[in-house]
Amino acid sequence: MEAFLHQVIGGLATGGIYASVALALVMIHQATHLLNFAQGEMAMFSTYIAWALINAGVPYWAAFFLTIAFAFVLGLAIQHFVMRNIRTTSVLQLVIVFIGLLVIFNSVAGWIFTYTIKVFPSPFPKGALWGQKYLSPHELGAICVTLVVLTLLWAFFRFTSLGLAMRAAAQNPGSSRLVGIRVAWMLALGWGLAAAVGAVAGMMVAPIVYLDPNMMAGILLYAFAAALIGGIDSPGGAVLGGFLVGVLENVLGAYVVGNELKLGVALVLIIGVLLVKPSGLFGSVQVTRV
Amino acid sequence: MSAVVPAAANSLSPAASRQRLQWIGLAVLLIAACALPFLVSNYRTFQFTLVLVYAIALLGLNILTGYNGQISLGHGAFYAIGAYVAAIMMDRFGMPYWSTVPIAGALCLVVGFLFGLPALRLEGHYLALATFALGVTMPQLLKNKAVEKWTGGVQGIVIVKPDAPFGLKLSPDQWLYLFTLAITVVMFVIGWNLIRGRVGRALVAIRDHPIAASAMGIDTARYKSLAFGVSAMYTGIAGSLGAIAIQFVAPDSFAVGLSIGLLTGIVIGGLASIPGAIFGAIFIQFIPNIADHISKAAPWAIYGIFLIGFMFLMPMGINGAIRLGWARLRHRIPAQQKGG
Amino acid sequence: MSAPLLDVVDLHAGYGLTRVLHGISFSMEEGSITTLLGANGAGKTTTLRALCAMIRPQGEVRFRGERVDARATEDIVRLGIGHVPEGRGTFVHLSTEENLRLGAYVRKDRAEVEKDFDRIYAYFPRLAERRRQQAGTLSGGEQQMLAVSRALMLRPRLLLLDEPSFGLAPLIVRELFEILRTINQKERVSILLVEQNAAMALDLADRAYLIETGRVVLSGSATDVKNNDAVRASYLGY
Repeated sequence: MEAFLHQVIGGLATGGIYASVALALVMIHQATHLLNFAQGEMAMFSTYIAWALINAGVPYWAAFFLTIAFAFVLGLAIQHFVMRNIRTTSVLQLVIVFIGLLVIFNSVAGWIFTYTIKVFPSPFPKGALWGQKYLSPHELGAICVTLVVLTLLWAFFRFTSLGLAMRAAAQNPGSSRLVGIRVAWMLALGWGLAAAVGAVAGMMVAPIVYLDPNMMAGILLYAFAAALIGGIDSPGGAVLGGFLVGVLENVLGAYVVGNELKLGVALVLIIGVLLVKPSGLFGSVQVTRV
Repeated sequence: MSAVVPAAANSLSPAASRQRLQWIGLAVLLIAACALPFLVSNYRTFQFTLVLVYAIALLGLNILTGYNGQISLGHGAFYAIGAYVAAIMMDRFGMPYWSTVPIAGALCLVVGFLFGLPALRLEGHYLALATFALGVTMPQLLKNKAVEKWTGGVQGIVIVKPDAPFGLKLSPDQWLYLFTLAITVVMFVIGWNLIRGRVGRALVAIRDHPIAASAMGIDTARYKSLAFGVSAMYTGIAGSLGAIAIQFVAPDSFAVGLSIGLLTGIVIGGLASIPGAIFGAIFIQFIPNIADHISKAAPWAIYGIFLIGFMFLMPMGINGAIRLGWARLRHRIPAQQKGG
Repeated sequence: MSAPLLDVVDLHAGYGLTRVLHGISFSMEEGSITTLLGANGAGKTTTLRALCAMIRPQGEVRFRGERVDARATEDIVRLGIGHVPEGRGTFVHLSTEENLRLGAYVRKDRAEVEKDFDRIYAYFPRLAERRRQQAGTLSGGEQQMLAVSRALMLRPRLLLLDEPSFGLAPLIVRELFEILRTINQKERVSILLVEQNAAMALDLADRAYLIETGRVVLSGSATDVKNNDAVRASYLGY
């Protein structure tokens, strides 16, 4: 029983990270109807920037926030310089551009920082007071940071006029223009925020899985599974899906498929959801007009 | 006396003479390909064997993605299946190398078709995602303890390159190259016939206007699953040949990078083009060799830049650029005089 | 003589290769209600779209003396032109209140915006009842009221309305037009009304322009146009 609880709670910790990346995926999908295959690599690259800053002597939390700022600008730049200039509606061409971004981020990280695995520090103190049986201090800290970020984001979208404008621009760009919203800027902001959220996820997971250019590949898969389960159009669903997938991964990995096949869980979840209920738990059903 | 000057007896219409030129070109290419192993070192021959292997795989992927519009980011999985079939058959069962190729093809045809059935319900991004998941997960599936007895787990399987048969005075590399060349020619002829004929037209129709296609009576489900099966078959055959050439299979050789590499190949070579498979294969075989010297990451950086760059500048790939250039050139040259 | 509020000279516009407007010219005085009439496909909606730069026009459009034909939609809105588009353009996943708040997006005067909510709810009590409801679940008439209200939240000087009667019961349309008249008189909001329903439009407006195949073929006071024999035969049915 204790072992089971350990798996579940540990799953919540990783689930928070999946939830963050899933949220980033949903944000971009809401605004563009595209799946950002490069989300993981962007987060990984941002984490390397954090690592470089910390290595250069910058204190952890300063590096943390500087990295978030960097990621924000990075997301903005990608939307403004790459995505905005694509004059195609061909899904294949769009997917290819995303894969191209994925590959570039991965290879540039490898080029600059090499493929040697690096240790990434955790800001949370080693000796925790309670819950150490089930949860390491870092895992607990990661859950807290994740929840804080998600809450801030939710509050931003729900209560600020900019957040409202971004929601509007994602749902209905035409009408948004008619009330004076600069839709292109909203899109860029969305990308920036998504990239920033991804960076936080990267910095929270790096201490656990160690930093290397391929760190986020598996996580991206879990995040996609989470986003699909929650409903690719539902931010709340993505968050819930993230925690669910985290727990499922741990429990199934420990008791059903074995730890080496954990990624297979993501594969089955993705294909399963796509086939059985593509709109997920909370998403809306898309109707294709002829 | 007729004022019209009769046409010279041996001149052909422009279309026919262009076709003749193409046949002559192909023949020259084939002769050059056959002569290759005798002109260059064993290592180069081995590299060109891999070019042929990739060309087959790329043609397979192109049938599915280029012509039929179904995006696959996981074709490395079929390549891996073909490779492991060859390795297991040769190492665990002691079967001859040449028997592994058709069996790899047949198995992948079935697996691909089966995968194509649920894929029918997935469109565009979601199919890309599902195949991406397959591509990312493949190494883990291969390392899995349950099949370790067969797959050799993390260590993989080592196989021996076959010697030339009938005591021919050829090195193993040379023989394998010619063997692969023969299979490549066969696969390309089959593919060319498929694309040119009714099947090819149906595939393209389904890609461009799926609803209209089914309204016209094309059984989209059947063609789409068949496209998956045939495409997987090609890639599986390529995988088996590749395994024999490299003499080694291990799970980490078949990570998602392979699938992305194949996708890069068809983008650069030219989507929905047969010669493009060859251009793409040359690219993905030799670029890493050249770029590796700069940095281990350099080949991938180049892939990424090319992927994005091509989408902006040359969406039709190298093949498309050549055809465009050729068409422009032809229109500059004034029409030939008719007769006399 | 002050300059007209809106002055449109020789407007040409279309969609890709399809040219729809072939030289539309008309003007509006401040405080007036002007209506553009015409059959389906005549170019009425296209005219409104061109005014708001939803499509690129050729020709001159002056708003309060300033040229606006080369500006972006988002900038034109900031000049005080509110557009209630064809099909209403409701943000269906957002609440009624959020839709209204978006109407005031470009405004900087927070306190006044809150007061405007009360004003709008006074005109349209049904929206007040449904303020937290998801806008997509409102009835057709309510969504039309919401669309008009959203534009009014801008405190526009000019309100563009594209076929507000479309798909609505005559009683609802009458109600809506009464409110439009009140808004025009009490708050000096000028209204440019595009309508297929010529009879109701001519009752509300003081000036009218008739558009056929992308050109203005008739203009005058609403009364004159209403009494015009050709108009009566073709558009009023008697």
